[in-house]
Amino acid sequence: MNPHEGAQALEHEHPQAPVYLAVAVVLTVLTVLEIAVFYAPFLQPVLVPLLIVLALAKFVLVAMFYMHLHYDAGVFTSLFGFPLLLALLIGASLLMLFAYLAAHLSPVIPYL
Amino acid sequence: MAAQPKEIAGQRPSYLAEGGLVGWLTTIDHKRVAVLYGLSSLFFLFVGGFEALLVRTQLAVPNNHLLSADTYNQMFTMHGTTMIFMVIMPLEIGFFANFLIPLMIGARDVAFPRINALSFWVFIFGALFMNAGWLWHALPDAGWFGYANLTERYYSPGMNIDLWDIGLLILGVSTLLSGLNFFVTIVNMRCPGMTFMRMPMFMWAMLVTTVLILLAFPALTVGLIFLFLDRFIGTHFYVAALGATPILWQHLFWIFGHPEVYIMALPAFGIISEILPVFSRKPLFGYAGMAYALVLIAFLSYGVWGHHMFSTGMGPVADATFSITSMLIAVPTGIKIFSWIATVWGGKLRMTTAMYFALAFILEFTIGGLSGVMHASPPIDLQQTDSYFIVAHFHYVLFGGMMFAILGAFFYWWPKITGRLLDEKLGRWQFWLTVIGFNGTFFPMHFLGVLGMPRRIYTYPAGMGWTFWNSFETACAYLLGVAFLIFLVNLVRSLRSEQAVGDDPWDARTLEWSVGSPPPAHNFDDIVTVRGRDAFWLMKYGSHDAPGHDSSAGARASAAHAEAGHAHVHLPAPSWYPLLFAAGLLVMGVGAMTWLRVVFLGAGLLLVSIVGMGFEYATYGQETEESRATFFRGVDSRKMGMWAFLGSECVFFACLISTYMVYKARNLGGPDAAVLDIPLTSFSTFVLLTSSLLMVLALAAIQRGDRKWSAIWLFGTAGFGLVFLGGQVYEFSKLYLVEHLAMQDNLFGQTFYTLVGTHGTHVAIGVVWLFVMAFAALKGKLQQSRSLAVEIAGLYWHFVDIVWIVIFTLVYLMRSIKEA
Repeated sequence: MNPHEGAQALEHEHPQAPVYLAVAVVLTVLTVLEIAVFYAPFLQPVLVPLLIVLALAKFVLVAMFYMHLHYDAGVFTSLFGFPLLLALLIGASLLMLFAYLAAHLSPVIPYL
Repeated sequence: MAAQPKEIAGQRPSYLAEGGLVGWLTTIDHKRVAVLYGLSSLFFLFVGGFEALLVRTQLAVPNNHLLSADTYNQMFTMHGTTMIFMVIMPLEIGFFANFLIPLMIGARDVAFPRINALSFWVFIFGALFMNAGWLWHALPDAGWFGYANLTERYYSPGMNIDLWDIGLLILGVSTLLSGLNFFVTIVNMRCPGMTFMRMPMFMWAMLVTTVLILLAFPALTVGLIFLFLDRFIGTHFYVAALGATPILWQHLFWIFGHPEVYIMALPAFGIISEILPVFSRKPLFGYAGMAYALVLIAFLSYGVWGHHMFSTGMGPVADATFSITSMLIAVPTGIKIFSWIATVWGGKLRMTTAMYFALAFILEFTIGGLSGVMHASPPIDLQQTDSYFIVAHFHYVLFGGMMFAILGAFFYWWPKITGRLLDEKLGRWQFWLTVIGFNGTFFPMHFLGVLGMPRRIYTYPAGMGWTFWNSFETACAYLLGVAFLIFLVNLVRSLRSEQAVGDDPWDARTLEWSVGSPPPAHNFDDIVTVRGRDAFWLMKYGSHDAPGHDSSAGARASAAHAEAGHAHVHLPAPSWYPLLFAAGLLVMGVGAMTWLRVVFLGAGLLLVSIVGMGFEYATYGQETEESRATFFRGVDSRKMGMWAFLGSECVFFACLISTYMVYKARNLGGPDAAVLDIPLTSFSTFVLLTSSLLMVLALAAIQRGDRKWSAIWLFGTAGFGLVFLGGQVYEFSKLYLVEHLAMQDNLFGQTFYTLVGTHGTHVAIGVVWLFVMAFAALKGKLQQSRSLAVEIAGLYWHFVDIVWIVIFTLVYLMRSIKEA
């Protein structure tokens, strides 16, 4: 038997226009919210977490519906998810390493 | 320019049978491309060896002035760069893996044959570009690691580093494309029955290697782009002025650099895992553990880059973290070493030259591995770093490990590749001279390191206690040179020999030995069906009645092919476009160093060749049932390739974005993020989001066969992309003219323009792509059956969109956040 036959996880049908339009509306609302958060003085203390949550929601919506990760074979989610995780780890590591550098070495060697 | 696919009708011509210069220039057969890689890499092996001998000759005696300091710098830099990027990687990946992957997994070719040829031409042009410095005595001279700020224009005003920087960017394109191609091939092109856990271990090694390539090279690319901007545009990414730091280069380089060690090591592990079982007449011990160990090594390799940087002062937490991960990586490596020993243990050993090299590999690599574990400890590393101890360590890994494996692979697979055996007697001479020469050259370097001899010095005074070992090492290095000359003689003699070898001279275990030596152009007459590990061994000695075939769908397909007299084996047609693409890249590189307009000429060549390749393949989007049957989970190779590429892009943008955030916090003066225009970029964000909507509508239209609306939505998407780009041009102009923010002014300016500009470049590429597709739809060349082409373009476009979502938030909406 073809071993791949048993493991067939064929892609589901991609959605049609109404779903895409609904996602577009949600993306628009989220973007409006982002801009509103940016301009609202009373939200400045929680600006960063709010913006990150809103951006994350937009990111996930585009990836799941426009890029069809929600409908396609799970292998694509892995192909994108693992590098994304690695990219986040590398980015976070660099930020922490340079934060340490700035906090501890700058007084001695100002521009190192 | 396009030629028709060739049909094979029953005959089995060797892949070498039809020659001619044009045939080789336009070939896209993975075996021929592999041979091109092999020949080129062998040439560079002797170039790199010559450089090494010059280095050793210079160090043979104290106060030697045979080479000037400048020439010495060029020689050791090019020796390292050549051996890594032009010898070890292309021999392992371009030559052996290229030749063997389709044969070992029962496929007719790689997933993207044109891209495979393209990778080779890009590789050879990149290598020649970098070596052009021989003509002007201006070879790269800052070490293979190119540490900043030695590489800055102020310290290296000549073309040396330009050649290195642009050359590596070109070579990186080649490697990345190969990685992508082989990843998709291994995942998607395996024959029926060839599950992951039945693959030869070399295939596991290559699968993991390709993942490493895809996720490691982007960091180097980002680092090289910054260097390019520093040298050509006048930015200060690595200059300790304006708040920047050369440490940034070290991080970006070693995020790539340590996985790079495993990009070279894992294929060697795979090679050894193939040779040992065959000549021990035993299956590989601990198959599953070996496979999981490869995955674990790859995963950990991303968390160990800091052990190259203990001396930069990263702090106790970072030091401890990198120390632990570096020690941990010894565990899966140890699993492999013990499994190799257990494979040999109790076997009926046949001591061929390939086996000699494989066994020596275990010993030599273990020595290199053990000294590597020592460097995982920061206090010890601080004593040894930049000393000859390190040179000894990495040569035991790279030569004792990788080169021994490569030499073993030559003796093992040469009969399959050429149809001729290599001479065993000459092989034995080569082996013992290599072992003696290698250990004599590199083991005493441990002593020299402990005695305090630093790396990269072009001469040294007498009376340091270093003279004897240096002279001894140089003599042994020449012995090593003799060993390689014997190897060359052996290769040439073998090729001139009339004595043909059988299909399976070693009584081997894997599928490549089931076809002719050399293999036919189409690899397999029928689709192979695999029933277990060591597929060919099972075919030969298994208890099954009909070796290699059963009653599965694949077997039925095979039977159908047999009945049809193999009349439906389609080989993709040769193409000039890969060569043209590589020429375009070379012209761009030359243009960057000479005359800017030449860059546009090169870009034009690139565009023509990409579009040409896109439309060249007559059966594009119409795969045969035969190929479709073996797709992994029914997934198309092109779609899988695009997702793998997007994964790679995640790391690329992560490096760019984190650099922006780090440097934004270190900005010392001048305009900063406060000058960014939020209303304008909010509008741009809506534009890009709308374009994404139009893109999916275009896809939905083509999927239901509505070509007219598909074309309209595609034009709309591209049009909105143009509006977005227009907004970016306006924004940049305003920042430059009104806010007086030039790219060179401060850290904010250079990182902002680079990050946002790179994203804009991606958008521009997408716009061109979409316009081509839209016109294709308009002309009726984009039918419902080819909707996948639109889907793939859409994936790229939506990725550009989500990158913008991140940039819009982190760069624009968080503009007031000073610290990252």
